[in-house]
Amino acid sequence: MGLIVVLLFAWMLVIAFLAFLACTFEDLESDMGSQSNPNSQVQLAAQIGQVNRFFNKAISGEPLSNAMYCATAGTIAWLLLLKLEPLVPGEEWKAAVLAIPIGVAVAAAINIIFSMTAHCGRTAAQKRFEQPIYLDVLYGHLLPIATHAFMTTFFITCIAYIQCNLGTLSGNPALNHPFALPLLGFIWGITVGAIGSSTGDVHYGAEREFQDRPFGEGKRVVYHGKITRYAECGVRTQRDIAGFCAKFGGPITGMTFGLIILFENWRSLVGMQLGGYLPNLAASAGNSAVTWAIVMGLIIVIALAVVNYVFVRWVRKKCGPFVGV
Amino acid sequence: MEPILIILCVVVGGLLASLGAHLLPVGGAPAAMGTATGIATGTVQIMLGAAMTGLFTAASAATFTDSLLLVALSGAIGATVMICVVMLMANILYTFGCGIVPVSGRVDVDPLTKEPQAPYKTPQTDGHGVPNVVYVSGMLGGFVGGFGGALMYFALLNYADFTAGTAAIGALSIFVPNAIIAAYNIRGTIEGFHDPKFKRLPFAMVTSLVVSLLCGILVVIASYLTVGGTM
Repeated sequence: MGLIVVLLFAWMLVIAFLAFLACTFEDLESDMGSQSNPNSQVQLAAQIGQVNRFFNKAISGEPLSNAMYCATAGTIAWLLLLKLEPLVPGEEWKAAVLAIPIGVAVAAAINIIFSMTAHCGRTAAQKRFEQPIYLDVLYGHLLPIATHAFMTTFFITCIAYIQCNLGTLSGNPALNHPFALPLLGFIWGITVGAIGSSTGDVHYGAEREFQDRPFGEGKRVVYHGKITRYAECGVRTQRDIAGFCAKFGGPITGMTFGLIILFENWRSLVGMQLGGYLPNLAASAGNSAVTWAIVMGLIIVIALAVVNYVFVRWVRKKCGPFVGV
Repeated sequence: MEPILIILCVVVGGLLASLGAHLLPVGGAPAAMGTATGIATGTVQIMLGAAMTGLFTAASAATFTDSLLLVALSGAIGATVMICVVMLMANILYTFGCGIVPVSGRVDVDPLTKEPQAPYKTPQTDGHGVPNVVYVSGMLGGFVGGFGGALMYFALLNYADFTAGTAAIGALSIFVPNAIIAAYNIRGTIEGFHDPKFKRLPFAMVTSLVVSLLCGILVVIASYLTVGGTM
């Protein structure tokens, strides 16, 4: 079977969709466990006498912890694929259907261990501030956190698997990505964490954590640590937060990663097409394919800069100068 | 195996990584609360995220071109696309999710667009969001950092004869210490080239030069030990 260019583009869109889902769940997982930057406020809250029922798991920076989960899942899936694929010749997808979920389940189990030790360790260290370890908070959050982490790791491992086999799936194995499955998992784990940490956390940190403060202003230093501890009904835990952030912060974060994956793959494929590299993979057209891809990338970058410029001008005009005290 | 070229590429790549990290708008934890301008995460984390995206594209490009410049530019553009999307979406989130206007805390007037900044800033904060000058600085940072990362990858792949996977891990391992040096130099948050903290850049560049030189020598030794491209 020769290379089918339409299939290449179709798989690229599948990857972008999976990326959207992966980053959405990654952001919600970090909000659910209060992992990233806004966790500084959860830490500070107990220290200034604001005893709370927030889950506090600062395992590490999100990129590193997600890289760990995804590389673990990728490694186990890759080892299982090596063993299982020879058993089903011609139908290798059957091996993937079994190998990927098993690898991801192991990563989710590791996530539970880290979540538990991180929460207990951090909260136990706050004994002098009389912050108790609420057992219902501990038990009640582990499974939702692990489920969100499972979804993230699953989608990332699927992306890595498709990219590893992109050429084979489209008809020419020469187009498979040169990196192995675990390394691709590691790379996208780092990236998904970096995006989840830099984009999605703002909705949790600047809005949901300080919901009883005025809307429409940066959170002042005097507010720090004085987080909103009461929910719409009862005392707030992280389960109230995931539902809120799923309405805006999560999807926006997912869209960020989805757009990045879409732009990156799209410009590479369009460059290959315009440069004459596809469908026969003509070696002489390699340089022109990369040049076209770079030109397409430059156009995307300039377009994004213009959109940001227009957006910032519009929002400043719409909202006007600061009028509070 | 070309030892001089390897060391040269690694040193230049390391210096560019450090420079790129200084140009990125890093807001750290305060930015997640809208208390500081920039991207709401640490220096190393955002730099690594951008460079990894660039490296992915650069690795694809390296399979069908032998040109150092084209591979490095592919990585640079990949990292720039990543950082541009992140900054734009962060602005959308700040605006529609939290009602916060992008404003710089370090300058009273945007040096590029001449827009006033101080009247829009919330008192007791150090700015918030990603205003235009910060966006441009971030674009440059992503480009420079991505270029450095892809340059090191190309040198390790083609001059040191590493396999694609080892070259990626090697380039990443040289990239991280350089970004960490920048993070120490920045000490928390930086807005970009217009930030007074940017003047500290020479200290980081000297340290990066030493670290990258040592890394380059190590790569050459590793390459000598595994002649034949088995590594």
